[in-house]
Amino acid sequence: MSHEIFMPALSSTMTEGKIVEWLKNPGDKVERGESVLVVESDKADMDVESFQDGYLAAVLMPAGSTAPVGETIGLIVENEDEIASVQEQNKGNQPEVSTSDKLELVSNKTEEKPVVQNENIKKEEQEVVLKSEKPVPSFNSDQINAATINVSSRIIASPRAKKLASQMGVDLAKVHGSGPHGRIQADDILKAKGQPVSIPWIGEGGSPASIPGSNLGVESKQETSGNSFGNPGETVQFNTLQKAVNKNMESSLDVPCFRVGYSISTDKLDNFYKKVKQNGVTMTALLVKAVAKTLKKHPQVNSSFSENGISYPENINIAVAVAMEDGGLITPVLKEPCNTDLFELSREWKDLVKRSRSKQLEPDEYSTGTFTLSNLGMFGVDRFDAILPPGTGAILAIASSKPTVVANSDGSISVKKIMQVNLTADHRVIYGADGASFLKDLAYLIENEPGTLVS
Amino acid sequence: MVNRTAIIKQPDKISFFNDVYKLQKEYQDGLILDKSNPSFIWIGEHQLCYTLGRGSNYDNLLFSLNDNKYDVFKIDRGGEVTCHMPGQLVTYLVLDLKNFNKDLNWYLRKIEDMIIKILGTFDIDCHSRKGLTGVWKENKKIASIGIGCKRWITINGFSINFDCELENFNKIIPCGIENCLMANMIDYNKNLNIQEVKRIVKKIIQEEFNFDFVSK
Repeated sequence: MSHEIFMPALSSTMTEGKIVEWLKNPGDKVERGESVLVVESDKADMDVESFQDGYLAAVLMPAGSTAPVGETIGLIVENEDEIASVQEQNKGNQPEVSTSDKLELVSNKTEEKPVVQNENIKKEEQEVVLKSEKPVPSFNSDQINAATINVSSRIIASPRAKKLASQMGVDLAKVHGSGPHGRIQADDILKAKGQPVSIPWIGEGGSPASIPGSNLGVESKQETSGNSFGNPGETVQFNTLQKAVNKNMESSLDVPCFRVGYSISTDKLDNFYKKVKQNGVTMTALLVKAVAKTLKKHPQVNSSFSENGISYPENINIAVAVAMEDGGLITPVLKEPCNTDLFELSREWKDLVKRSRSKQLEPDEYSTGTFTLSNLGMFGVDRFDAILPPGTGAILAIASSKPTVVANSDGSISVKKIMQVNLTADHRVIYGADGASFLKDLAYLIENEPGTLVS
Repeated sequence: MVNRTAIIKQPDKISFFNDVYKLQKEYQDGLILDKSNPSFIWIGEHQLCYTLGRGSNYDNLLFSLNDNKYDVFKIDRGGEVTCHMPGQLVTYLVLDLKNFNKDLNWYLRKIEDMIIKILGTFDIDCHSRKGLTGVWKENKKIASIGIGCKRWITINGFSINFDCELENFNKIIPCGIENCLMANMIDYNKNLNIQEVKRIVKKIIQEEFNFDFVSK
């Protein structure tokens, strides 16, 4: 399984970054947290680190080139024997590893000492720069063309699916598309390769795009059957996680909760999401960012009850409920989303979901939430309310965004996508007016300024 | 818990570039390992040397690297070649941007603003120029900036020309800008004392980043 290295956002205004130098060559071993390359923006440069242990399999953007924020610039694989296949698939994408690269590395190692270099090295450096001026396509177009020509009918596939197919060596002609009109989507490629689909069946969505058919007003076909942990007639013991959830839910019976709801128009948010989705941004990250930014203005809604009084946490940490396939649920926490840009936040979220499914989260990654989100939008529900987790003051239930006929204040009628959200709060610390004004500002942010969610 | 303590070093004598660079790296590694470790501020002067960022173009160096007369260092920072020498006030800040703003553009603009404040204290009215990071007095560059960053922990910082041999800049194309004119603080205010400028640099860093300074 290969993992992508993305062009990071070094600042909120940065749209693209320049790759100064690859500190590792394809084939090199990398450790989690080890610097793999250096990216520059203006007079500042930053080391980009690997998110996991493995091997640098491919350099997709050579030193000297610039890439848009969020673009895949390299690939890391977990096992040494995967390097060859990934390299084979990305042939033509990688800059040649020439002696000049090696010389550059040598000169780096001497950075602590006065650099003793000669004119030859200077020339080599120039070569590296010249070579890298050629733009490199981010996927191997030859492979895709070949696949497309092989069949008589046209193959329709999403750009991400095409890219994945070329990276993973999947023949698009042999893939069955699950999207509208048989369009091949990224998941289909992963399935074809026998890999787990990276998008969790819950915790992601909120966008109407994930409910095919709903735009036509027709009920979408339910392909998955409902969950059941036992057979008819059986009583199945709770697993540890289910027991923990039960305890938490029961403790909410001692909390005097109230609920307050709001209908938010998501047309602008959906348009913005379409633009940033290709850079790996998830709807969950967008919603978390919007909620965190609004909480910053409404610290009361981030507070919780304690014996000594109203407790105001130092941080804003957003927990997001994720159902586990074998029962129970877990709430991975995105810490301080206001201090993390949208792209990194999306990556953090994907990493958290992946590790929560394999039960590899550290306690502080699921128990430090100060506010919780629960999103069932992907199932098309029009509204629901959530139960308050212990130790926090509020939880927001997010339903699906649906085209709705809206009467406007000027008497006109229009169709807008409307998403209902519902806040459950502990009335001992958060009052109706606190919750209402929080929702009003959240709605304003989502309806009018989704672009500000980038940073 | 975030540690607001910053170790401050202000040597009076001229310091060798490499020693201070190593020291910065040590504090950067310290903060990478544990965020409760202190930040580090260094204010001083270097012997004559030239430094290049990791992405620097060697064409901007107008002398041969074989020429042993000059010390050249390639270091972890952005930007093109620059020059340090006695009479130039160099300031390094090793701090965790996660405690302030994870935004390198914000940090560069903040440093420009700080330098403008520092020079303003001595009645030298300077400005920044869009797209040309650094601080300028009319069309002359009076202060340069270069930052490196790992896991949002910064290294390097800025240098202000106080009263230095500006001819040394003629051996390079400073910051990659052709025909870039340089200026000294002393050109605009004859009654300056470098110790006084160091004191103000320290004061403004303390105010802007809200550090508790511990001298070392």
